[in-house]
Amino acid sequence: MSSSFADSLRSRSDEEIARLFQARPDLLSPVPSDLSALAARASSMPSILRARDTLNKFQFDLLTAACSLQDPFTQLDLLRITDKSAKSTLALLIERALIYADGEKFRIPTNVRTLIGEHPAGLGPHSTKKINLALLEEAPKGAIELLNKMVWGPPRGQVADVKKANPTITWLLENNFLIAQDSQTLLLPREVGMHLRGGKVFKELIFEAPSVVGVTRKKKAVDLAAIANISTFIRWAEELAHNWSDEPPSALKSGGLGVRDLKRTSEHLGVDETCAAFVAEILYLGGLIVIDTDDQILPTNAFDLWLTKSAEDRWHALVTLWLETSRVAGLIGKGDNKSVAALGPELDRSGISALKKSVLALLIATPEIDPELGSLQERLKFDMPTRANNDYVSWILREAEWLGITGQGAISSFGIALMNDADLGVEAALPKPVDHILIQADNSAIAPGPLTLEIANEMGTIADIESRGGATVYRFTEGSIRRALDHGKTGDGIKDFLKRTSKTPVPQPLEYLINDVAKRHGRLRVGHASSYIRCEDEGLIQQITHDKNLEDLRLRKLAPQVLISDVEINELIAGLREAGYLPAVENATGILISAPEVRRAKSRPRPPRVLSENSTPSETLISSAVRALRAGEKASAHKPREVPRTTANETLDLLNQYIQEQTSLTIGYADSNGGVSNRLIDPLSISLGTLIARDHATGEIAQFRIPRITGVSQAESAK
Amino acid sequence: MTDGPLIVQSDKTILLDVDHILADECRRLIAAFAELEKSPEHIHTYRLTPLGLWNARAAGHDAEHVIDVLLKYSRFAVPHSLLVDIAETMSRYGRLRLEAHPVHGLTLVSHDPAVLREVTRGKKIAPMLGLQIDDETIIVHPGQRGFLKQALLKLGWPAEDFAGYVDGEAHEISLNQDGWTIRKYQELAAEGFWHGGSGVVVLPCGAGKTIVGAAAMAHAKATTLILVTNTVAARQWRDELLKRTSLHEDEIGEYSGSKKEIRPVTIATYQVLTTRKKGVYAHLDLFDAIDWGLIIYDEVHLLPAPVFRFTADIQSRRRLGLTATLVREDGMEGEVFSLIGPKRYDVPWKEIEQQGYIAPADCVEVRITLTDAERMHYATAEQEDRYRFCSTTETKRKVAIALAEKHKDEQVLIIGQYIDQLDALGEELGVPVIKGETPIKEREELFNLYRAGEIKCLVVSKVANFSIDLPDATIAIQVSGTFGSRQEEAQRLGRVLRPKSDGRSARFYSLVARDTVDQDFAQNRQRFLAEQGYAYRIIDADDVLTSD
Repeated sequence: MSSSFADSLRSRSDEEIARLFQARPDLLSPVPSDLSALAARASSMPSILRARDTLNKFQFDLLTAACSLQDPFTQLDLLRITDKSAKSTLALLIERALIYADGEKFRIPTNVRTLIGEHPAGLGPHSTKKINLALLEEAPKGAIELLNKMVWGPPRGQVADVKKANPTITWLLENNFLIAQDSQTLLLPREVGMHLRGGKVFKELIFEAPSVVGVTRKKKAVDLAAIANISTFIRWAEELAHNWSDEPPSALKSGGLGVRDLKRTSEHLGVDETCAAFVAEILYLGGLIVIDTDDQILPTNAFDLWLTKSAEDRWHALVTLWLETSRVAGLIGKGDNKSVAALGPELDRSGISALKKSVLALLIATPEIDPELGSLQERLKFDMPTRANNDYVSWILREAEWLGITGQGAISSFGIALMNDADLGVEAALPKPVDHILIQADNSAIAPGPLTLEIANEMGTIADIESRGGATVYRFTEGSIRRALDHGKTGDGIKDFLKRTSKTPVPQPLEYLINDVAKRHGRLRVGHASSYIRCEDEGLIQQITHDKNLEDLRLRKLAPQVLISDVEINELIAGLREAGYLPAVENATGILISAPEVRRAKSRPRPPRVLSENSTPSETLISSAVRALRAGEKASAHKPREVPRTTANETLDLLNQYIQEQTSLTIGYADSNGGVSNRLIDPLSISLGTLIARDHATGEIAQFRIPRITGVSQAESAK
Repeated sequence: MTDGPLIVQSDKTILLDVDHILADECRRLIAAFAELEKSPEHIHTYRLTPLGLWNARAAGHDAEHVIDVLLKYSRFAVPHSLLVDIAETMSRYGRLRLEAHPVHGLTLVSHDPAVLREVTRGKKIAPMLGLQIDDETIIVHPGQRGFLKQALLKLGWPAEDFAGYVDGEAHEISLNQDGWTIRKYQELAAEGFWHGGSGVVVLPCGAGKTIVGAAAMAHAKATTLILVTNTVAARQWRDELLKRTSLHEDEIGEYSGSKKEIRPVTIATYQVLTTRKKGVYAHLDLFDAIDWGLIIYDEVHLLPAPVFRFTADIQSRRRLGLTATLVREDGMEGEVFSLIGPKRYDVPWKEIEQQGYIAPADCVEVRITLTDAERMHYATAEQEDRYRFCSTTETKRKVAIALAEKHKDEQVLIIGQYIDQLDALGEELGVPVIKGETPIKEREELFNLYRAGEIKCLVVSKVANFSIDLPDATIAIQVSGTFGSRQEEAQRLGRVLRPKSDGRSARFYSLVARDTVDQDFAQNRQRFLAEQGYAYRIIDADDVLTSD
């Protein structure tokens, strides 16, 4: 069967093969050695899964319908159960090697059937018996209703006992309209299902992509809104990093940002928590913040570099990361029992980047439309039925708006330029930076637009920010002036800066405030010392300060009668004694300590734990140990005989065969280092390239990857 | 980008560049829906609040109008989310209505069953409600009308009240337009109120609040209770009503600390209403004394909190609030909105501009350096005595006297908190002192002499300036304490200080001891006064003492 799939590939022209590679690029890496290898890879489950993800709803439905037919089938068979228009799509599925031609007829690779499942579109198994559909006309009362319940799937029903079923069911069973799978389960045969479905697999087949509808927006308004979003987003990013630089949050043990820190950040930014988490994620992606080695989350040097770039470059840097990332910020705060943390390890989802690009492509295709979420989700469900996720789509729209790729919900010209790799034009549209402020008599200052970086930094040091937006409102307070002085500014320096920068005269009360704070700042000095020397005899103090032997003690004179030192008290005393002085130690209240202190540990007692004696092993432990021994014996009995090497296809065929015969096997199995060991197993089933079998050594069900099985043979004892 | 005068901030404040060519036009438009928060010299700050937006709705503006104004005048692009938020907030007003049902009486009605379900879930609201009649109607326990409106507002679903009013005892009142005519906006304000049923009319000082009140009374033609801030205001109201309406002297009663008259039109002070005897409000019966058809609240922004509670019980009577500002220092704007009513009329700014404009006073903070001995004393004083000590020091007294002497040809008021200090100042300057214990009669005599210019200088205590309006002055010197709440302080200053005859603005000195808690208070005062647009500067006491 699978050789015929390889044959179909062999009969392809170079051009056709090239088209296959184009549609399924994963087949190219690495380049297969020959057509058999290509056939093996093209019919492997991972590759088929990828190919499936590229199908739209109609293509996928058609493939499903094809799977409801028995191999081989004709084009007419397929069109009859679907629609005439399916012809071109069948060609596409063949081109992608999801269906292959066998002469005039068509077949489906086994793994495609496995993927679609036993019950394609909810249809039951083929009946092995002859069914006289005309008999349905005479069916007893309630029989049709009963069948109708199973028509659209699942094609399965339960009864207490097939043998004691009611007369209607018995009639249906007798006439083969139902199949008894076991004593309790009834199945609707595919032929009956198709008949009741009126000969078509699907109730309705959607051929064309539903169109995206929404509210129409004016292009100018969209771009204005987008530029507001862009400048807001850049501001959020800066704000968040600055805020975390002041008060760095600590990462959770499990990784990521704690809920409380997120809440604080969202309050600081004045946005909801989902938005704050998103901003943090984007900064994290860009390496502008990082979880440091001591678990503090801090801005990096990259942030400082980023700040120096133009607004357009800053935006571009962040927004391209968003497009490519596999992290889904929308998941933050969700989760069943434990909420998913921002910056945490649980946010990666495959395919999100492709989905983002599809959403944006749709938006670009419907310019000046703020799409209704439902209609967009509908459309994506058609375009990429396996990838589209309604939540993800709504998050993508939300994030695109935050980032300013959209404005008022519609794609902005900046978003279009971004996707087309064209000149963004953000810089020209953003408000020009201003280089002045307006100071008012109430000790507030207003920057009537975005400030240049240099002035913004300076203002950030000497004033507190009171409100943000298009403008920034600063307030000078005692605290903010003090902070500036702590940063090494001087009162006069601050006043000069303000006079230079303010368009309005600096109000006199503000000058007073600055002078007042500057006058008081630093009048009290604080420092570290480990020990001191106190002596009422100033002459002796003088002598000690000049004693060359005591230079190592790094003594510093604070007052005529007081010296301090960085060295510990014991070292200080020893040094003094060695130099011939007679110091005495005093305690905190100035009382002399005459006797040496009786020393005690400060920490609480923590005696070591007592290790317990070996306990008696449990029965399960013993029995599994015995089982392992026996299995080992059995396996070693087979050892002398090498399991013959088989090719992958042979292995598959053999395994399929033995699964049906239900015999124990010895297989050669390669471990991850390439070492081959023999295992004694009972094969159970094959799925997704994996053999599921009971391993005699452990007595448990285990999975064996088929490519690693080097050979198969019947077990000695089974022969 | 329009390069307009407005900058909309993300915290929903709006900055208005007053030097911009479109500033005046823009100011008129945004005043309808945003509250003016600060008005220093260059950039004024307005704030968008749910209440402000709902008030705008009640006064007939829709969200589209608000958004149009913001977009038209904004200098930078306005975040879309903020606009959506405005539309969303404004659409909440009026989705719930209180109506009088012909069979079931007072009911809560909404055409949006989901909203109705949401609010009835509230723990506080459920006990106020009775049976649900249908999807859109729920019975409300009578007597809960006010409390329900309060609670709904807190939930963010303000209810419009269409439940109607009692007519009250009829009493013929008409305007007596003899030698004067009611202004257009005053008439519109009274009509706006009358059609709205109850609510607040916002009028700047000097725009003729009393006339709007009188016009409202002429609409009601019913017995009226007028609540005012103090006795002087009560007398002003009486005089105005006699002049502007058909009312005679014996139809108007005063209900205050000194008189307890109840007449068809009664003017009562807030103070008497909130007086308690043995923990019980003694004069609440006034609300039930007559079947009032109209209740007028003067200066709603100063309405004391207990009066709100009485007001919740009288929701079936028409209520008119009059004020210059809806901003309350205590943040009880919501109570005004739900219990008195939404804003019914905004006077167009143009009209007010024609009223002329009083230049705010020039504020001077005089920094006094304490002597070393005083500083040492201050440093060792107990925490609670510090303020008193630093505000009554000997140095301060010297500076106060120097200032008074310097301005001895002008009308000077010296204001303080500590009686000893005031007595000492009065004695040294040889001028009368008015304090709490000074009888009203004597006060009025002194004030009259002062107004006539026969006394040039008066010393008044803080207690004294509460009970009666101070006369105009050109110089005020504050030696200690605050001049009422921050808001009151700015307002009083504006009212007390009239420009000098030569057109120079009046001056307000406050004496502040350097490096003490006094200075901390002064900083708050500076901020607030500057926010209100007063010029503010600081000088050193030595400059006062040396210059002459």
